[in-house]
Amino acid sequence: MTSPDASGTTGTSGVSGIDPIKFEVIRNALTQATEEMAIALRRSAYSTNVKTRQDFSCAFFDRDLRSVAQAFTQPVHLGSFVRHVPIAVTRYGPENLGPGDMILSNDPYGGGVHLNDISLIGPVYRQDRLVGYTACLAHHVDVGGGAPASIGAFREVFQEGIIIPPIKLVAAGEIDDDLFRLVLAQIRSKRETAGDFRAQIASNRTGAIRINEIIDRYGLDEFDRYIDEILEYTDRRTRAEVAKLPHGVFSAKGFVDNDGFTDDVVKLEVKITIDDDGVQFDTTGSDPQRRAPVNSTFAQTFSACAYALRALMDRDLPVNDGFYRYVKVHAPEGTVTNCVHPAPVVGGWETHVRLNDLIFEALAPAMPDVICAGTKAMQCHAGFGGENPDTGEYYCFLETLAGGFGGRSTSDGPDAVQCHGQNTENAPVEETEINYPVRITRYELVPDSEGPGEFRGGLGLRRDYMFPEETTFTVLADRDRAGPHGLFGGEPGSTSTYTLIRNNPGAGAKEERLSSKTTLQLQPGDVISYRTSGGGGYGNPFARDPERVQNDVMQRKVSVKRARERYGVEIDPASGEVNKSATRELRSGR
Amino acid sequence: MTAPAVGRYRIGVDIGGTFTDGTLVDSTTGRVTTSKVLSTPEDPAVGFISAVQKLLEMDDGIAPEAVEHVVHATTVATNAIIEGKTAKTAFITTEGFRDMLEIARQIRPSLYDLQFEKPRPLVPRQLCFEVPERLDAKGQVVTPLDDRAVAEVVDRIAESGVEAVAVCLLHSYRNPDHEQRVGRALRAKLPNVIISLSSDVVPEFREYLRASTTVINASVSPIVSTYLASISEKLRASGIGSELLVMQSNGGVYTAEAASRSPVFMVESGPAAGAVAAAALGSSLGYPNVISFDMGGTTAKASLIRNGKPHVTKDYSVGGVGQSGTGAFGGASGYPIRTTVVDLVEVGAGGGSIAWVDSGGALRVGPHSAGADPGPVCYGLGGTEPTITDANLVLGRLDPDYFAGGEMSLDLKAARVAIRTNCAEPLELSIEDAAHGIIEIANTAMVNALRLVSVQRGHDPRDFMLIGFGGAGPAHAIRIAEQTGIPRVLIPLGPGTASALGLLVTDMRMEGSATLIVRSDEVEPSRIASEFERLESAGKEAHRTAASASGDPVFERVVEMRYWGQSFELSVPAPDRPTIDDAWMSELIESFHEAHETAYGFRANDEPVELVNLRLTTVGKIARPRMRKLDATGTDASVASKGERPVYFAEDAANSGGAHSAGGARVAEIKGFVQTTVYDRAKLPAGAIFSGPAIVEEPDSTTVVHPAWSVTVDDYGNLTIEHSSNAHRSRKVAERR
Repeated sequence: MTSPDASGTTGTSGVSGIDPIKFEVIRNALTQATEEMAIALRRSAYSTNVKTRQDFSCAFFDRDLRSVAQAFTQPVHLGSFVRHVPIAVTRYGPENLGPGDMILSNDPYGGGVHLNDISLIGPVYRQDRLVGYTACLAHHVDVGGGAPASIGAFREVFQEGIIIPPIKLVAAGEIDDDLFRLVLAQIRSKRETAGDFRAQIASNRTGAIRINEIIDRYGLDEFDRYIDEILEYTDRRTRAEVAKLPHGVFSAKGFVDNDGFTDDVVKLEVKITIDDDGVQFDTTGSDPQRRAPVNSTFAQTFSACAYALRALMDRDLPVNDGFYRYVKVHAPEGTVTNCVHPAPVVGGWETHVRLNDLIFEALAPAMPDVICAGTKAMQCHAGFGGENPDTGEYYCFLETLAGGFGGRSTSDGPDAVQCHGQNTENAPVEETEINYPVRITRYELVPDSEGPGEFRGGLGLRRDYMFPEETTFTVLADRDRAGPHGLFGGEPGSTSTYTLIRNNPGAGAKEERLSSKTTLQLQPGDVISYRTSGGGGYGNPFARDPERVQNDVMQRKVSVKRARERYGVEIDPASGEVNKSATRELRSGR
Repeated sequence: MTAPAVGRYRIGVDIGGTFTDGTLVDSTTGRVTTSKVLSTPEDPAVGFISAVQKLLEMDDGIAPEAVEHVVHATTVATNAIIEGKTAKTAFITTEGFRDMLEIARQIRPSLYDLQFEKPRPLVPRQLCFEVPERLDAKGQVVTPLDDRAVAEVVDRIAESGVEAVAVCLLHSYRNPDHEQRVGRALRAKLPNVIISLSSDVVPEFREYLRASTTVINASVSPIVSTYLASISEKLRASGIGSELLVMQSNGGVYTAEAASRSPVFMVESGPAAGAVAAAALGSSLGYPNVISFDMGGTTAKASLIRNGKPHVTKDYSVGGVGQSGTGAFGGASGYPIRTTVVDLVEVGAGGGSIAWVDSGGALRVGPHSAGADPGPVCYGLGGTEPTITDANLVLGRLDPDYFAGGEMSLDLKAARVAIRTNCAEPLELSIEDAAHGIIEIANTAMVNALRLVSVQRGHDPRDFMLIGFGGAGPAHAIRIAEQTGIPRVLIPLGPGTASALGLLVTDMRMEGSATLIVRSDEVEPSRIASEFERLESAGKEAHRTAASASGDPVFERVVEMRYWGQSFELSVPAPDRPTIDDAWMSELIESFHEAHETAYGFRANDEPVELVNLRLTTVGKIARPRMRKLDATGTDASVASKGERPVYFAEDAANSGGAHSAGGARVAEIKGFVQTTVYDRAKLPAGAIFSGPAIVEEPDSTTVVHPAWSVTVDDYGNLTIEHSSNAHRSRKVAERR
């Protein structure tokens, strides 16, 4: 439990006659409103990516476009979306929006991220007075462009799909049918996408109803006043949390393994300055932007920094404008951390999540008890599409695969899990096979993929896709050159591999290594196999408790050979017992 | 001793963390007797049987052979999961998918926590086995089952010494043949080991959810069957030879034998009883639409009852931390089960929940609880952090000298000191304002729970009556009703044990389901009819073997549907027509569009509709016990008055207005202590009428009646409490008639 520590902070009652009880009631009701938006969106959506994998987020903004409340779904969006919504509304002009209107936007160079993430924003009115905005973002499975699922390595943003500046999709409660048909005409998976748009509309409407119910009860003046206080409250708590962080300057360098066109690593650099006023992130020194899909927009880089900072604070801290104002980001224009038009952006999240790992790596020496070793730190997309022989429709499918989490100061990194800003579920094998012409032939942990450590990294996973029909497949991932970093003597996790096994019965099952960013045409019977990275280890693996090593061997997560060579623990394969004298010998001098 | 009448008495036993409650109903007179003994966690059967014996010894003694049946609600299955004490279990799946349980849903239960853990799989990796075989999504064989490989796996499992085996092969919901063959091989070799096949337990698509449900079923089965066998034996030794029934998570009961075989259906046995009790009470009084509000020492639970039936869900996780059930990631910390569970929203606000001030200067309540040990500060058992109970005491809502019927006295001074130090001083509030704030904030959490089960499911709480029970429920129910706009509250007699009574007012329920996953324009109605017939004959067979069910079974048919392409189904009751034909189908589809519009605010008439699962519940009716009327009648409540004491109320216009203000009587603003009449519930006659503010005390609970509410005692001793604006409206309606 957080200790009740009010010293140095002002009680809510001390500020302009705020009633602490009313405060807590309104705060919870606002969060609840966004949670209900998330439920409406999820349950009425069509694509597996939205309905099952939960690749969406919802939020409420006040009339000054300050972020007030969010539903806790995908942190990557919650950091970027808070920048995109104000820019989109300002560009469109709030004066051009009336009751029942909603605008659609995905413009990466208008505060957005990659094109698949489309925001729908609606003003909330109280009779004729604007009280705020409900907004939701969904990762649409296809937005057109050069390959199914709209992922792949392209040279310009124009090849990546439809670019939607803020446009009024819903006018006074009615969908603009001309616009809707124009948007859908660019998109392969029309039926699913149309369903997902309807779900987004339902989400915003749900939010608007709930917000009005709060105002019914308290009146608009009180509603506004308490929103100010909610943000101030968050500000006070954030300030108190910042004060607890180690002050100073911390930096790290790292890279994305390649850009999809060349083998040149994409260098990233981050410098973090922590003082009482907040936390400054500076990415100066990162590579210039590429004509390749690894460019992060400013919103994505901001989101990486916001997530990292939030993960270092009290779990109970609200995330709204009162928190975001402490996240200061300097990302030089024209770099892979703040690209300019017309750089392609679809793989910007790969860079974003690697920045997450880098920020933690920089802070590890100062916060060794809190920071984890390197995680899979990639989105790891698999996207494919083609004609579905059952329906005759063009279908698209997208998912992202988990990997190992990094070891921590007192515990192993969990196996096969999403990391950092990404927390999307897997697509159930059966649901996927019912809806799409694909067979998943393997879905399992990869033994020996962990980064050894006193607390080891988690295992990566393997997923194999077999296609009975001709299909276009895209890998958009990373980590095929270097595994996630270890910490304090821990070793890196395994690298990832992406392979193609052609259906060529004469030639045997020969595996062909693929680039981590590639699109290819598959013939019936071809198999694509992903094996994702394990997490980095924490601490010296030769100091790992032999019982833990024994348990890993018993579960066949770690082989007998690896136990001996990487942990200095000799396990008798027949009995499964630790050979103590052999272990002592292996470990002597380490 | 009364004349032994066979089948005259029914016994319900509810085992909680601290106490085991027994309830006995005389079905001829409706007389209810209760017993309370300490629970015996090492062997809960000991507490069970002593609660039963205590019931039999009460009054003039009851002949054991006069007991018709015994109904039990138990957390033995949940506890085994939470405490990691499930049986040693093996898992068999399709080759390539051994790690289905390890990978789970690949998500983290908390977003910003670098130290998170995934739930540990209930079967360790070395006990997960693969067999070569594969079906496609249509249930056709892609790779035939390799019987030799199966035999090898069975041998290895035999060597491992497991007590149970769960089998989940891909697409077995479509075609169970391979699973059944694996099952036969296992049973032949391992006759004493529990075998659970996913196609038997929950034949529905989405492999991880089906596997998780099957593994839970298998791994708690040895524990549950041993436990129920031990209880049955002890009952027989006491001379009670009648049937033992077990409460299921869905609010129905089933036989102990069925429970031993399919224990996953009783994982949430305990909480379901409260909802069932509220449903039965509401129905019997002519209120089929009620919200059940059950507040105990550590949590409060809300559930919605419509047309006399508790709302149920299949999105549920057991053993998770934080909220279980339906939150976005709420389930990621536990183990999902795909059985029907009474849809409860549980919040960490009970009498023992602790109040504190956070670093931003906000007053917070819970989720931490002082529990029973050390308990609230006022118990004087070492607690130092103020709780909801302490706040109620400071506000005069509890009587320090009449707690637990006077068996325990409460330390008011210590409660005041704790609230002053931990809440009032940091916030610069008076002690009373801080105490009142604690109550209001806790109420907000409960209001949210009520909204989740009502508004979020598309129901307006104003159309419902609130039934408040549990030890702490009656102190909060009226204020919560006020804040949600609920016009009428009912407090049953003996609120502290009302939940156990739920065990005695339910029916036998046996569920069966079949997966279709077919578009409505591509399915022949005759196929649906034949699937329902198949489920019906299985239900009839189960009904025939249950002794307690009387008469012919009743069948409830539901179709789980969605727009083709969605993933979440809505449950639509099957049309009530004699034959399943095109007209039946049209009516079903229209019902689905309507349900979708209610839930999500839109309907898509041109979209194809998909029928996902057929669900048939076989209901064996069990006769309800008669309720007993109060002996004393009269409108005058003063005969029950115990005097007056000052009780703190703060009713401002915004609060007491709310949904009730329109056209209703406005209450003058009140803030501070008000002289309030205290009534002894046991002395209130049927028909008594009085107005708030008032306090009604009984040994296991205290009801707080706020100003602007008025109370009527009904024939059975229940308190019906109505908002004055509602009474005002009711009168107007009456006048117009």
